[in-house]
Amino acid sequence: MLDALWDGFRRHDRLALARLLSLAARGEAISSIPSPPKSSRVVAVTGSSGVGKSTLIGQLIEHLRGQGKTVAVLACDPQSPLSGGALLGDRFRMAGPHDDGVFIRSLATPGGHGAVAERLDLLIRLVESFGFDVIIVETVGAGQGDTAARNLADVAVLLLQPESGDDLQWEKAGVLEVADVIAVHKADLPGAEQTAAQVRATLDVGRQSQTPVLRVSSKTRAGLGELWQAIEACPLRRGPESDSPTELLQSLERELAARFAKAERSRPTDWSQAMAAWRSGEADAVARLLQLLADPEV
Amino acid sequence: MPSPLRIVLAKVGLDGHDRGIKVVARALRDAGMHVIYAGLWQTPEAVIRTVADEDADWLGLSLLSGAHMTLVPRVVELLRAAKLENVGVLVGGIIPEADVPKLLALGVAKVFGPGTSLDEIVEFLKQRSEAGHA
Repeated sequence: MLDALWDGFRRHDRLALARLLSLAARGEAISSIPSPPKSSRVVAVTGSSGVGKSTLIGQLIEHLRGQGKTVAVLACDPQSPLSGGALLGDRFRMAGPHDDGVFIRSLATPGGHGAVAERLDLLIRLVESFGFDVIIVETVGAGQGDTAARNLADVAVLLLQPESGDDLQWEKAGVLEVADVIAVHKADLPGAEQTAAQVRATLDVGRQSQTPVLRVSSKTRAGLGELWQAIEACPLRRGPESDSPTELLQSLERELAARFAKAERSRPTDWSQAMAAWRSGEADAVARLLQLLADPEV
Repeated sequence: MPSPLRIVLAKVGLDGHDRGIKVVARALRDAGMHVIYAGLWQTPEAVIRTVADEDADWLGLSLLSGAHMTLVPRVVELLRAAKLENVGVLVGGIIPEADVPKLLALGVAKVFGPGTSLDEIVEFLKQRSEAGHA
């Protein structure tokens, strides 16, 4: 079945791409991804919920299609930690109708993975291999410290909005410093200029005085072209396999978590002994647990 | 662990009543499914694109406009043309009794009318997926 999918993929069949993305997102083996026809520009769009990430991406799609560029969007939305369910509503805001040059995929995102879906690295490589000019990754919208998205992308765009906190907010670590481009969205609202000036002032104190700060409005489309120009002016950050250690570590964490959960069922006695050791503060409790998890019988 | 069902929920045509479909979206989410909400005023073509790109198992259409006998056949036809005949189709909304058998004959898996409980929809999807069919 996998062979048939790859055949379809090479023939540029979108269904094959969609299917392979599902398999990869689930952690199933998809064998090797063909090297891309060209490097895509991978743009991460991050910012708090309600700041307008999906809406702005919708506008960017139109802008890019106007330039004849093809666009794939990987839109991450949160997944319930209780039911595992997710309401994926990003594409709804990306307007449309879209043509063959646009591919949008919604991805449920468990908590604790840095605001992006699991195996996002692999998913990006898949759409890149399919040959899109631009790949836009929309983060969940945690707003602070979306570093995972930054590491996987060439350019990280942080969206802010007017009246979204005072200048102390910008001093917090991880908010501004992960951004390559900062856009004050909803710039048709009052206060946008002031917000942009505050951000500018904060950046000038630090080492980020080169980071562009722009105002953009999805409502009036003002500033859209300038925003894309600023994104295009950024050097492509992704090097060959530069993010592999982080991604590998994340895979390891997932595998360990899965085994940990399995061991609780398959080896209840060993498991509760390990737990007891951990509770009483025994120094080698973790090492012993690792030994248990390394057992292939677990 | 089986992967969660992916279902696209959409309103096709000129129909602005989205309260019902949003309640259903919430219920399916709470039942552990991944719900892709495509929203209002979708064309049949746009719905097919969404189902394809999202690799959905199911498509739920909500129609309260009375245009179901025009739009649903079109959606089903386009699904087949796009080689997506394995995607199950559900219809909800205001559908006259007499039209239900016609829709089922087209290949719609189930029609949920007014008064349907949320549990009924969830149960139906769970049973069908356990039986191996989306």
